[in-house]
Amino acid sequence: MTGAAPLLPEPRQPGRVLDARLHLLDRQVLDVDSVPVGTLDDLELGPSGPGAAAGSPRADDPPLDGTTTVVVTALLSGPVLGTRVFGGRPPASRWHRVLWRHVTDVGTAVRLANRGDDLDLTWTERWVRDHVVGRLPGGRHDPDAGP
Amino acid sequence: MIASDLLDARVLEADGQAVGWVVDLRLVLDGTTDGILARPRLHGLVVSPRTRTSFLGFERSDVRSPWPIAPLLRRWHRGTFLVHWPDVARVPEPDDADHPGPAVVVLRPGYLRYDATLHR
Repeated sequence: MTGAAPLLPEPRQPGRVLDARLHLLDRQVLDVDSVPVGTLDDLELGPSGPGAAAGSPRADDPPLDGTTTVVVTALLSGPVLGTRVFGGRPPASRWHRVLWRHVTDVGTAVRLANRGDDLDLTWTERWVRDHVVGRLPGGRHDPDAGP
Repeated sequence: MIASDLLDARVLEADGQAVGWVVDLRLVLDGTTDGILARPRLHGLVVSPRTRTSFLGFERSDVRSPWPIAPLLRRWHRGTFLVHWPDVARVPEPDDADHPGPAVVVLRPGYLRYDATLHR
């Protein structure tokens, strides 16, 4: 295949077409109440099948190549600032996974069917709320609930 | 495997000739319904022969403004093409001790290059 050959026209696809970097990565993730819960830092890919989203990929999983149908199984959020600057990837234990089945819409933001409090993604926010803000005088007062 | 294992990887033909870098992953929501949306299937790799990354996808759309940003970016990324996933023979293995160094994607002999333009 030479670079000078004309490109073949891409056939129309039967479903919505998304480019990962263009339409998904670095988008804000909103919960069912439109509350921001994080950023979509990466996508987990796995072989298609009934158990595709059952769990995280294991080290002994066969390598994925063109002979396998690959699907997005989960959205990943994690500490990527350092790895984007210096290279590499965060260890698998540092990723927070949100299964694709919880996604309800992909637009300028990615919307989920869950509440943010139900996601592992927001554990730091809950920890700070319970252990720091909640111990401040007036820290347990809900300003929306009135005086 | 995660998307970052493929993004920015060098792309080689079967004979070892470099053809570019993976700048994006093309997904199609035509898999089995999983929740409300169909599960996105990895349809192919968007490969740029000139740059490691893309900027706002000007080379994949029919957007012509703002001038001169759009034409400059389109020219910078000229030659970008789409390779369907079945034409991929090997993908980078994370932490592969047998293949240290930059990640590479190897294409099958006789692979086809498709227009990477996104249709509305």
